Amino acid sequence: MTAALAIAAIVAAAAVVLAALPFLRDPSPAADRFERQDELERRTLELAEERDRALAALKELEFDHRTGKVSDDDYRRLVGPLRVRAAQTLRALEPEIPEPQEPQPPPSPSPEPITPEPVPEPYPPDEITPPAPPLVPEPGPRN
Amino acid sequence: MAPLGRAALLVAFGCLTYAALAGGYAAARRRRRLALSARNALLAGFGATAVAVAVLVAALLRHDFTFAYVAEHTSSELPARYRISALWGGQEGSLLFWLLVLTGYSSIAVLAARRAGQDLLAWVVPILGTIGAFFAFLVVAIASPFHTQTAPPDGLGLTPSLQNPYMLIHPPMLYLGYVGLAIPFAFAMATLLARRGDEMWIVVTRRWTLVAWTFLGVGQLLGAHWAYVEVGWGGYYAWDPVENAALMPWLAATAFLHSVMIQEKRGMLKVWNMLLVVLAFCLAIFGDFLTRSGVINSIHSFAQGKVGPWLLGFICAVTAGSLALVFARLPMLRARTRLESLVSREATFLYNNLLLVALCLTILWGVAFPLLSEAVRGQTVTIARPYYDFFLRIFGLPLLLLMGIGPLVAWRRASLRALGNAFLGPALLAVATGIALIALGAGSSRPGLIAYSFSVFVLASIALEFARGTRARRSLAGGSWPAAFGSLVARNRRRYGGYVVHAAVVLLAIGVAGSSAYQTVRERHLRPGQSMEVAGYTLAFQGTTEGQSSNARELRTHLLLSRGGRSLGSIAPGKNYYPAERSSSNEVAIRHSFLTLEDVYVIADQIDAKGGGVYFKVLVKPLVNLIWLAGAVFVLGSLITLWPDAREERRLAARYRAEGALVRV
Repeated sequence: MTAALAIAAIVAAAAVVLAALPFLRDPSPAADRFERQDELERRTLELAEERDRALAALKELEFDHRTGKVSDDDYRRLVGPLRVRAAQTLRALEPEIPEPQEPQPPPSPSPEPITPEPVPEPYPPDEITPPAPPLVPEPGPRN
Repeated sequence: MAPLGRAALLVAFGCLTYAALAGGYAAARRRRRLALSARNALLAGFGATAVAVAVLVAALLRHDFTFAYVAEHTSSELPARYRISALWGGQEGSLLFWLLVLTGYSSIAVLAARRAGQDLLAWVVPILGTIGAFFAFLVVAIASPFHTQTAPPDGLGLTPSLQNPYMLIHPPMLYLGYVGLAIPFAFAMATLLARRGDEMWIVVTRRWTLVAWTFLGVGQLLGAHWAYVEVGWGGYYAWDPVENAALMPWLAATAFLHSVMIQEKRGMLKVWNMLLVVLAFCLAIFGDFLTRSGVINSIHSFAQGKVGPWLLGFICAVTAGSLALVFARLPMLRARTRLESLVSREATFLYNNLLLVALCLTILWGVAFPLLSEAVRGQTVTIARPYYDFFLRIFGLPLLLLMGIGPLVAWRRASLRALGNAFLGPALLAVATGIALIALGAGSSRPGLIAYSFSVFVLASIALEFARGTRARRSLAGGSWPAAFGSLVARNRRRYGGYVVHAAVVLLAIGVAGSSAYQTVRERHLRPGQSMEVAGYTLAFQGTTEGQSSNARELRTHLLLSRGGRSLGSIAPGKNYYPAERSSSNEVAIRHSFLTLEDVYVIADQIDAKGGGVYFKVLVKPLVNLIWLAGAVFVLGSLITLWPDAREERRLAARYRAEGALVRV
């Protein structure tokens, strides 16, 4: 019984010390408020997420095109707006990047299947270091 | 040592209450040290709970019948392994074990996510602290496992059906699943409380959700196998409310795991995802309520139950509070993008979500209606198997089909021509399978036929997806086919691990369809020397023997099994009688065929130990072993999905680190 109470007292004391540790370690801090996102940071993070989403979508589209899930026509129609969006978010995050060009209207269907070139290496989605897409919105058919 | 257990639980309750209250104040007032102090209190709550669990386990192992819990759930003859599993064999012990898992998960979660935004983490601690404090309150004040008494000469023992090796692993797996859903719930609510519109909470909890979901899935399969080999009625899933209790949160979590991908890729379904997280967590608590309140047997036992009203009140409070918070933050959750086409990958995910949630709510209604009926009208109503089977077909078969359609459809928008090209091969295979099955005489069950055809469609689409991906990967990076395949999977573990899980679900569907739609059942009373025929098998009854184990009298009947004149060996179904527990159990005999994946399942009843007759029930269950194989494939797929991807981790860390120091990743 005595041993049990002694162990219980040790458990309780350890819990109190652990909870009090931040105050014991830092009894008089210069600042005791944790920081919170401000509007600028919130917007920046949203843009970063949007950028990653756009780049991932480009890679996804590229891969789907390579595996035959997306036809050439669909690829041409979808890739332009995605590139523009990726470029816009990149530019918003890094203002030194030049303005993206206006998206061109979809080109007429090509008689031959296109081999997309815009993304240097087509990756499966969610890969590290997504390739920065060039700022030319449409690859155009090869003639 | 009972006072130590009680004291440790009191300390745990104090720590968790402090984590909830001080943590909430610190989060609202942005007090850095107080927030850290609350986090440390959460860790201390885990330590104190671990001490309490150690005390109870020691008492169970030492046969310390001065603990009422030990006397009620063990006996002096009970093997040591079942004395440990008695920790979760009774209400008080299982609540304590639940608290241990909860505080353990909470501690790991807040330590692992310490680099997440402080404002987010500051709210996670009080939420987890509140949940923990509630369960600590239950074991301190309502259902303490540390009540003491004058030690009786022997204990009452453990329910015989729980004296099975599966009981050592099945309940812990389920608890790890149920309780794990508290982590994504806490982070989701914290992100709302912190008014953060970003997706860090999803990044932080992605693996947690998968872990909880995997444990819940594996726990259910283990439970199904336990029911199959131990309960002795010839099936593996009876739509029992306790079984449904685990299935419902698993379905909600499955829906969440799919829809959260839409949020990550398209920034859509933010409100829906919040609601799914709340639903999954509330259903997990509801599962605990169903299994621990006594409400299932009778509404009157619920009225007398100790924890039932508390758990029900907690579920109501959590549901109301969470929904109020979600609705209060609706403007923050508004999506900026819309679904571009109803024929796209994200649309198939949406359909999948609707079907999963519909199935989940249908099951919930099936579980809740008898309780409501008895509570409101005083009438006992039973929702039987046909209800569940009907809705499983209505929602399950389209879900199965969607698993095959989804991988073949592109994100955003898919043209009908591209779809036609993609679907042609799998669809032709599915149709050919259906025709072949009809030709082979398997057309007797229409749902079974549809399930098989859809299964072939899904497997073909998955194989196609792997083949096309590998070919594309190889054309890009060169190298051998195996290297390209490995690289493909390694570069996107979530996608290809997910496909492996889909393949597991297909195996499960084939196993369920085969073993239920095409099973053969025969019942016959046999005397020694007589035999019976079932689906091509011959069972010749040889006689009965009696034996004795450490805590049971074992009656066994001996049957020679043969097929087409070829002997397949002998099997020995029977019964065990447990004197301490004053109970008996069916000990079924199962003969597996690893070639055809078929089982011969024999139940012996009304055994005349003096050499008389025995009543046999024999079931031949085609393809049933695919269900257990599906479990292994499910674990493999989950592991692939869960396996850390250093490149992705770096990319995500870079995202949050780069965007402002205040995010502090």
